[in-house]
Amino acid sequence: MSIFKRFVKSFGIPNSIALLICIILLLLEFAGDRHGETKYEDFIFFPAFFGFISCIVIFKVGVALRSVFMRDEDYYDK
Amino acid sequence: MFIGAFLIPLFPHFYRQIYMLLLVILSALALFSVEGTHFVIQLKNINFILHQSDSLSFPFAIVFHIAAFIIIIYGSHIKDWKEQLAIMSYAGASIAALHAGDLFTLFLWWEATAFTSVILIFCGNTLRAYRSAFRYIIIQVGSGILLLSGAILLFQSNDEAIFQQLDINSTPGLLIFIAFGIKAAFPFLNGWLQDSYPEASEVGTVALSSFTTKLAIYALARSFAGVEVLIYIGALMTFFPIFFAVIENDLRRVLAFSLNNQLGFMVVAIGIGTELAINGAVAHAFAHIIYKGLLFMSMGAVLYRVGTCKASELGGLFKYMPITAVCSIVGAVSISAFPLFSGFVAKSLIMSSLGYEGLTLIYFMLLFASAGVLHHSGIKIPFFAFFAHNSGLKPKEAPINMIAAMLISSLLCILIGIFPSLFYQILPYNTYYQPYDFSHVVSQLQLLMFAVFAFICLWHFKIYPPELNSTVLNSDWFYRVLFYRIINFFVNKVFNIWDNLSFNIMTLIKFLFLKIQNSSIQSGNSAVKVGRSTVLILFSLGFVLVCNYLLF
Repeated sequence: MSIFKRFVKSFGIPNSIALLICIILLLLEFAGDRHGETKYEDFIFFPAFFGFISCIVIFKVGVALRSVFMRDEDYYDK
Repeated sequence: MFIGAFLIPLFPHFYRQIYMLLLVILSALALFSVEGTHFVIQLKNINFILHQSDSLSFPFAIVFHIAAFIIIIYGSHIKDWKEQLAIMSYAGASIAALHAGDLFTLFLWWEATAFTSVILIFCGNTLRAYRSAFRYIIIQVGSGILLLSGAILLFQSNDEAIFQQLDINSTPGLLIFIAFGIKAAFPFLNGWLQDSYPEASEVGTVALSSFTTKLAIYALARSFAGVEVLIYIGALMTFFPIFFAVIENDLRRVLAFSLNNQLGFMVVAIGIGTELAINGAVAHAFAHIIYKGLLFMSMGAVLYRVGTCKASELGGLFKYMPITAVCSIVGAVSISAFPLFSGFVAKSLIMSSLGYEGLTLIYFMLLFASAGVLHHSGIKIPFFAFFAHNSGLKPKEAPINMIAAMLISSLLCILIGIFPSLFYQILPYNTYYQPYDFSHVVSQLQLLMFAVFAFICLWHFKIYPPELNSTVLNSDWFYRVLFYRIINFFVNKVFNIWDNLSFNIMTLIKFLFLKIQNSSIQSGNSAVKVGRSTVLILFSLGFVLVCNYLLF
């Protein structure tokens, strides 16, 4: 079994398709003149980087906030 | 439509549905025939302008009618006419409020939306729903009182209270701004939204999500367009609910947080105030009513079939509710602003306005919020309900009327996304904008797909923690817990002081009693002295009793 097939098997078909789309989108960066609304967005792969990091940050902060804002289900009923 | 709603109880179930649909269609047709100012009633010195239609109210009126039409189809299985009456009168009051030409008329319809919508929360038929409904109505009426106060002050100084651009630096302007801010769910004024909306029935929540907050957005756009502080308020609104939505377990409450976040985009656009930005706010409100309604409908269908909307108890429903799942995914990609869906063509207007105005920091806050929307509404909602893990639930597909309503909404989301130029024609200003260019599409797809990929990695490598049954604290905590604790503290203090005082008085009386007794014994048990002592003691006790009675 090739490395490619082994990767698809372990990562899952839908996840692998998503990864493939991501790679295509990165390659599309070179197919035309992509520019953003601000000058910072003009950096290569900026939206991809921003999207990935944002999602991780949201997840991390969300998990951290669990201890601050999360209470028992019947908190207000007590 | 509002008046017509009160005839609903006269019709049997089937004819009632037809009657309601006809009411909405007739009301919608009237939009195209009546333009300008009509129905002005003068009472004493006040002019009540009951109908004023212009390019700003028109798109809101259209989408309110579309929403009402879809909600009637979605809720046509309801046998209880009371809930249907509430939905119709609520939609009617909201549409009437859009056409108010003065602030007094606006106030009347503003309160009418509050009193009709609270019935929908009561129709949740749970103790939590009843309690939530009481909190909801207090806040909504409070907003109305602020609006009325502002209108009266404005009338005193100007001899008129026209519903138009207002000065936020004046007292009436500020009062009206706060009144609108409460209904638009500004930060720290937003608790009622997440508290009440998820407590209504599966149909009631869809109706609630469509009208009140968007009416407030319309009011802000009419009276406070270009007010700079709205940019910062809106940016905060987009930013904070993301984190709450991520940790929330109840998927309808996740959508309520998401609603708050989406309102933030509109508020930012109103704060910018340019023609393009106002178009963006209106376009976003229009698209949002449809895709948010669609998401609420899909979760409502799940709630109707399964009896819960908690992420921790759902999963794997795609196999049993495939049409609902597909509609939910259409709603999810629309709200995430994927190209070819309605959210993209609406949100691009706002993002471009920010770019043109050079508001870089706010731009990046909203870009971050866009990734957040994808995370909690785009992924979390469909993923935890229909995929994730096998919950063991095997429900039937949603009823046919619910499916029809969801399919109509899905179709609208796609049509708006594919034909943006047609959609832009109904917006208030005639500005040229092309959302589909290479940069926009590639940038947006990169942002969204890499955020999706980040979620995939977190889930695949089991970093994402399981959803837990919980309550997430929100700004309603201030009046549900903190206010209660403060009042409790002061009441306890007063009781403690009174206890100490009573104890000291009793000690004093005992002391006096013993003194009198001792002096009586020393003076030879004179009957007269004993009588005096008894009278003194009785008076003292009487005094204490009266004090106790008055205080308690």
